[in-house]
Amino acid sequence: MSSLPANRLLDPDVIARAEMLGLKAREVVEGYMAGEHKSPFRGFAIEFAQHREYTHGDDVRHLDWKVLGRTDRAYIKQYEQDTNFIAHLYLDGSESMKYTSHTATKLEYGKMLAATLAYLILLQRDAVAVNIFDATVRETYQRTDNRSALLNILHTLAAYQPQAATDLAKVLHDMAGKIRRRGIVILISDLLDDEEQILSGLQHLRFAGHDVILFHVLDPAELEFPFRGTVEFIGLEYQPRIIARPAELRKTYLAEFEAYRNRLRDGCSKTKTHYVLANTGQPLAETLASYLAFRLHTSRR
Amino acid sequence: MYFLNPLLLFGAAAISVPIVIHLLNRRRTRRVEWAAMRFLRASIEKNERRLEIEDLILLALRCLLLILLALALARPTLRGALGSLGNLGLTPSTALILLDNSYSMDATDGVQSRFDKARKAAEETLDALPSGSSVAVWLVSDAVRPIIPEPTRDLALARKIIRESRLSDHASNLLPCLQQATGTLRNKAGARKELYVITDGQALAWQRWSDVLQLLNDAKQTVRTRIILVGDTDEQNLSISDLRLAGGLPSVNQPLRFEAQITNHGHDDVRDARVTLSVNNDPPSDEGSIEFIPAGTAKSISLFAKLRADGFHSVTARLADDRLPADNRRSAVVHAMKELRVLLVDGTPSRDARESAVFFLRHALVPVSAADAPQYFIKPIVTTPAELPAARLDGVDIVILSNVFDFSPDVAASLEQFLSRGGGLIVFPGPNCSRAFYNSKLAAILPAQLDEPRGDPEKQDSFATLQPKDYQHPIVALWNDAAAGTLASAHFYRYYPLQARTNHSPVTVLRFADGAPAVMEQSVGLGRVVLFNSTGNTAWNDFPVRPAFVPLLHRALAVLLIRRDEALNLKVGEPFNYRLGLEFANKETVVTLPTSTPEKPQRDYGRVEMFNGAPTLRHANNDNAGVYDVEVASDPPLRMRFAAQSPPAESSLKPLSLAELKQLGQAAQVLQYPTDAALKSRVQQETVGSEVWWPLAMLALALGAVETFFAQRFSRSR
Repeated sequence: MSSLPANRLLDPDVIARAEMLGLKAREVVEGYMAGEHKSPFRGFAIEFAQHREYTHGDDVRHLDWKVLGRTDRAYIKQYEQDTNFIAHLYLDGSESMKYTSHTATKLEYGKMLAATLAYLILLQRDAVAVNIFDATVRETYQRTDNRSALLNILHTLAAYQPQAATDLAKVLHDMAGKIRRRGIVILISDLLDDEEQILSGLQHLRFAGHDVILFHVLDPAELEFPFRGTVEFIGLEYQPRIIARPAELRKTYLAEFEAYRNRLRDGCSKTKTHYVLANTGQPLAETLASYLAFRLHTSRR
Repeated sequence: MYFLNPLLLFGAAAISVPIVIHLLNRRRTRRVEWAAMRFLRASIEKNERRLEIEDLILLALRCLLLILLALALARPTLRGALGSLGNLGLTPSTALILLDNSYSMDATDGVQSRFDKARKAAEETLDALPSGSSVAVWLVSDAVRPIIPEPTRDLALARKIIRESRLSDHASNLLPCLQQATGTLRNKAGARKELYVITDGQALAWQRWSDVLQLLNDAKQTVRTRIILVGDTDEQNLSISDLRLAGGLPSVNQPLRFEAQITNHGHDDVRDARVTLSVNNDPPSDEGSIEFIPAGTAKSISLFAKLRADGFHSVTARLADDRLPADNRRSAVVHAMKELRVLLVDGTPSRDARESAVFFLRHALVPVSAADAPQYFIKPIVTTPAELPAARLDGVDIVILSNVFDFSPDVAASLEQFLSRGGGLIVFPGPNCSRAFYNSKLAAILPAQLDEPRGDPEKQDSFATLQPKDYQHPIVALWNDAAAGTLASAHFYRYYPLQARTNHSPVTVLRFADGAPAVMEQSVGLGRVVLFNSTGNTAWNDFPVRPAFVPLLHRALAVLLIRRDEALNLKVGEPFNYRLGLEFANKETVVTLPTSTPEKPQRDYGRVEMFNGAPTLRHANNDNAGVYDVEVASDPPLRMRFAAQSPPAESSLKPLSLAELKQLGQAAQVLQYPTDAALKSRVQQETVGSEVWWPLAMLALALGAVETFFAQRFSRSR
């Protein structure tokens, strides 16, 4: 199966619209350098945050001398610290992502989405780590804030070929254990796995304090089930074949699928995870711009 | 129930079509690699039962639809009461009308003939047929003449042809006609196959009675037979049952005796039956009457006529008209000759004429004074066996061999050809004969072989005599009348016992008193051979000096010539085949039929064809009794005649008995016309069977609609 070359993963139109919106951290993130995003750490920057009693070892330069003078108590002045964030991009590279009913497979769509987000993050001087997984993490590009690393990320994405079925929940639990600093976890997947397990994994990530964005990549055919006649469905992830007349099953299928998405949406809502439907039938620019705008709007302080 | 197109029942195998289509569709399914299998599986699990039931319903509907279509195409037919269930309106019939046109149908009640009634009955039958029916019409007698061979829906045409149909002079014999008709109808499509036999109920027509009943009973299942009787019970009828040249040779300007046989077929005796005889449609040349003919018997009357010129003459006997005119006249054709040339082959020529083997024969042939002999019409030519190869047999009419030892194979072959052309041969063996030659070289033409001679001509006290009475053969029938003298007075001292050849068909003309054959004859080709067993002179017998010798010899000559004329007198329906000379080969011929009138001439045109190696005048359309005039376009034109004579048995108007009618009624519906109620209502009362294909077709159509509805409904997304 041919895949998109690295130089086509980035679409100028998508980039142009994404740049205008940017990707802000919704919540405090634990960066490793000063940046635009709120850090959980109190520093000594410009914006006052609170007082704290002086303890041994504190730099006496941060003593609030006015309070000491009035109350004879030693307090340290603390200020809000802005930091950069680390975005962990997790792209589902399982067999089911190979499906397409038109031109771009879900995987290709996911790769373009991941590439665009990586570009955007690096552009903001934030750090990004890219992982491609199925039942386990198959490809990893270590955290970097170096813009020149983008090309390597693109090559990593472009070179990947699916090879196994997915086990998303396991991967989510693993990543929750492995990612130490709170950051942004962007999961790009078709989520064709047990939704209870997926939601459990997401909750684990959220519990670890990560800002989780879930891009649910779906093909229009999966959303509309438009098939007619007699069709032999061959499972992409080694399920038994099914011969059916899909027109007669469409309503039931759509109901089942909608219920599944509703469960996912509700679960995400409960864990304050952003659930974004990425319909591969729609332009990526539209999907991404729409979400970034929404995010920008909801994360204003 | 039975099927008119049973082969189409195999169409029911089409129920496999939906299954095959399903299997084919399985092979032709689109393949899609699919990721969201769990939702698809869940959908199927939810709908599986419903889909199975829907599939089964659709499959059942489609199979039923195909079965119904196959059934409808096979054209099922219900019988009897069940038949009326499917009979919304009368089912069209396939009918065959057999119209008896034998000459007994010419019997009239004074107003109209039986045939007139039969045509009306046939027209009423057409009226009774349901709309859309098809009908064939055959004229039947002892032969079938299909005037509408295959059923046509054009009933107007059938009506016209029935009105124009004509009687024949055939006898009637319905069994072969019924066999052919039922066989034809069985092979026709159609729910209602009906056979209408319109006849006069003459008993003669129903020969082989048990076979007829068997046939009708066997055909009952598929063919409904209706017998419409148009006859009456009046049997009275007088007919001329035979007319023949009874005596003398057909010579010009000699009085010829014709014998007409009159048969009284009725129950009442007939008195004073007047018969006239006319030649060539001239006014009657003779007439006579038979004073009394008892019921059911025949009597003959002799009438005389003279033929004024040589050539072919028609002789017609007529009776006064009665209720059956067709048999009140009978014609025969006679070929009159100016002179009769007889070649006498003398086996023992002698200077003393009396010692010659043909002395008595020559004188017997010309029984007139020497002065009158040149004018006498029989011209004997005497020759010897040595001169025989040079003799021209073409120039003679009859050859007489008398005590001839033998002759060459070439002569034997030419003699055989002479006979096959219609010549006559009389053989008188004698002491000079080579028995081996006669029994081997002439075996093909002689009716019997000559055994070792018996008797001794020297012993005058030991002899055989001829039978004194019970003469059957025309040559000797004259001596049944005691006034004609006797044959028994002749003494045969020595003779060759005759042993009939079984591979031929010899006829014994005359026997000895002990029953041994004395004279035999047989036909060879168109000619005939008469074989005596003793000499033609007084060497072995004294017959030549007996008074009966001359008439016997002349009658033998006459019979030999009549044989030649037999080809001129046919039975109705027989083909006419008459050999002509080579000069007539491929000449055009015109045959004027007896039914021809000056206003409406009826002629058949043809040519003289080569048949069996000889130019032969042939004419097959001889269905009417009477005289057929023939003209061959040669130079000068050859004009000749032949006659067709109706079979005399048909004149018996005896109807079927009541017991026979009752039996017939069990095998077929018997209707009396016109005394029964209107034929139309009688015919329509019965329903033989009704096709039920169209209710099945409608049901199939309805099923098709239901199937479409369900297919649409079931294929809607769930």
